[in-house]
Amino acid sequence: MRVLSTVKFTVLRMARNYIVLLLLLVIPIILITIFSFILSESVTETGVPYHYQNALTMVLVFQLFAGAIVMYLIDHDLFKENRMRIYTLPFNQRMYAFSIMICGAGYSILLGVLLMIYTQFVLGIIWANWAWMIYIISLMAILSIIVCLIFTFSVKKYKIAERLSELYGVGFVVLAGLFFPMPENIFFDFFGTYGNPLTLSIMSINEMGQSNTGKAWFQANILLVAIVLLFIVMLNLGRRRKL
Amino acid sequence: MKVTRNERVNNMTIASMQGVIKRYGSHVVLDYIDLDIQEGEIIGLLGPNGAGKTTLIQTLTGMIPFDRGKIELFGNSKNPFSNQNKERIGLVTQEITIFEELTAKENLQFFAGVYGLKRQEKKKRVEEALEFVGLADKGNKVPARFSGGMKRRLNIACALTHRPRFLIMDEPTVGIDPQSRNYILEAVKKLRENGTTILYTTHYMEEVQAIASSVTIMDQGQIIKNGTVEELIQTVQHEEKVRIDVTDPDSVPVNSLEKIAGVKKAIVAGSQIIIISTFGSGNLDRIITLVKEHAGVLGIQADKPNLEDVFLTLTGKQLRDKEEE
Repeated sequence: MRVLSTVKFTVLRMARNYIVLLLLLVIPIILITIFSFILSESVTETGVPYHYQNALTMVLVFQLFAGAIVMYLIDHDLFKENRMRIYTLPFNQRMYAFSIMICGAGYSILLGVLLMIYTQFVLGIIWANWAWMIYIISLMAILSIIVCLIFTFSVKKYKIAERLSELYGVGFVVLAGLFFPMPENIFFDFFGTYGNPLTLSIMSINEMGQSNTGKAWFQANILLVAIVLLFIVMLNLGRRRKL
Repeated sequence: MKVTRNERVNNMTIASMQGVIKRYGSHVVLDYIDLDIQEGEIIGLLGPNGAGKTTLIQTLTGMIPFDRGKIELFGNSKNPFSNQNKERIGLVTQEITIFEELTAKENLQFFAGVYGLKRQEKKKRVEEALEFVGLADKGNKVPARFSGGMKRRLNIACALTHRPRFLIMDEPTVGIDPQSRNYILEAVKKLRENGTTILYTTHYMEEVQAIASSVTIMDQGQIIKNGTVEELIQTVQHEEKVRIDVTDPDSVPVNSLEKIAGVKKAIVAGSQIIIISTFGSGNLDRIITLVKEHAGVLGIQADKPNLEDVFLTLTGKQLRDKEEE
């Protein structure tokens, strides 16, 4: 498995991409810190402190953008500048793409966990169930990577794929009603409950926090099913792009 | 167009393309390519931009499929692009294909690892490759801080860590300063001394003249001639070439020039009229008279034939556009 020898360098490339680090770690830290000071005294209708809800949302929102670095590396190495060199190397190029995906997911989860550590030990937010939180972050990161790769494989211009990935991230934040309330009708209610990865993740963590294990698993499993289905779509699109 | 190499070395055939055709839709990019590369040779693959050189390399390395013909690498025609064969090939790409986020040393470690080198060997080969391209003191720097020439040299080093038997260099000197170009050409000569077989594509004929043991000329997807530099030049030595600098080259009637006895071809190139005549035709007076009737003559020079002339004679066009020069 010669692809394994490339993992260290893929991680280094990700870690040295300062824009990704800024987007997935620095900006969330700044926003969570500011909001936690503003909202420190407030509580929701159910009595949950607002800054907890805000930190949870922020940690998950930025996972929607986790696919950015993976799509950049795969496009750069397998479709653009480095394509010719990579295709003449004595290893399986598809396995190399998978290794980038896995590294990207790991990296994004790690940044999510760093946010959890920061919020718990610096801002005093108590995460009730760390394992569940990390599981949901993982699902969000993997889903985001798969969606971004679907965009990369399905459009020829990388810039368009990039814009689509941003639309995916910002779109679900808007649909979750974080910028302004969504209209109250069957479509938005149904979509908000079952079709938006961000609201599904938030609800799943909240349900687990209230020991509603069944509901929490149900919402997490919707994400899991979406991952499996979209993974199949991604594989087929990747094959069509001769990956 | 099938061309057989005039002189064959009795070594192992490293790579062979037989009747290879590659089309993109109705456009034929490689048109019945026959090419044999013997061990220890440096083949200069010469042709203008768009001649099909990079496509030939992409086909030869298995990166893109071909429509007809046969490719054999290291005696294997059933599975020429196997990993075992890929391990013996090094590719220096025309684009700079290095990882900007990694240091020079890490770039080389990446490639050395993919080629399966073990820890100690890898360390040694990485140092060696950096030394070879003159970047030994830049190993811990990221390429973002390198000049174009240094990036080109690192690009070459990435293809050398596994000591390939067959090195393919696709226009490795494009867009760099003369000093780096000389460094690269010297490196190629050293590789030749070590017995590496090299396929070197370029559109700079002076590079081919400096390093190649034999030359293959390509144009419009076809191999139009091959042989040693001397052999190719001999094919045009029965011709004379005169360059006339004129004030208004467009007003000179090229067709009329070509009707003068002995003139084989007349071409307008920038501010010059290039006239190729049969050796000893004695038509210079008539040529100058005709040119003077239409434009002012600023200067006249007669050239010794070189690979550029071979290309000009074979295709009726120049190897490089004036803008490129």
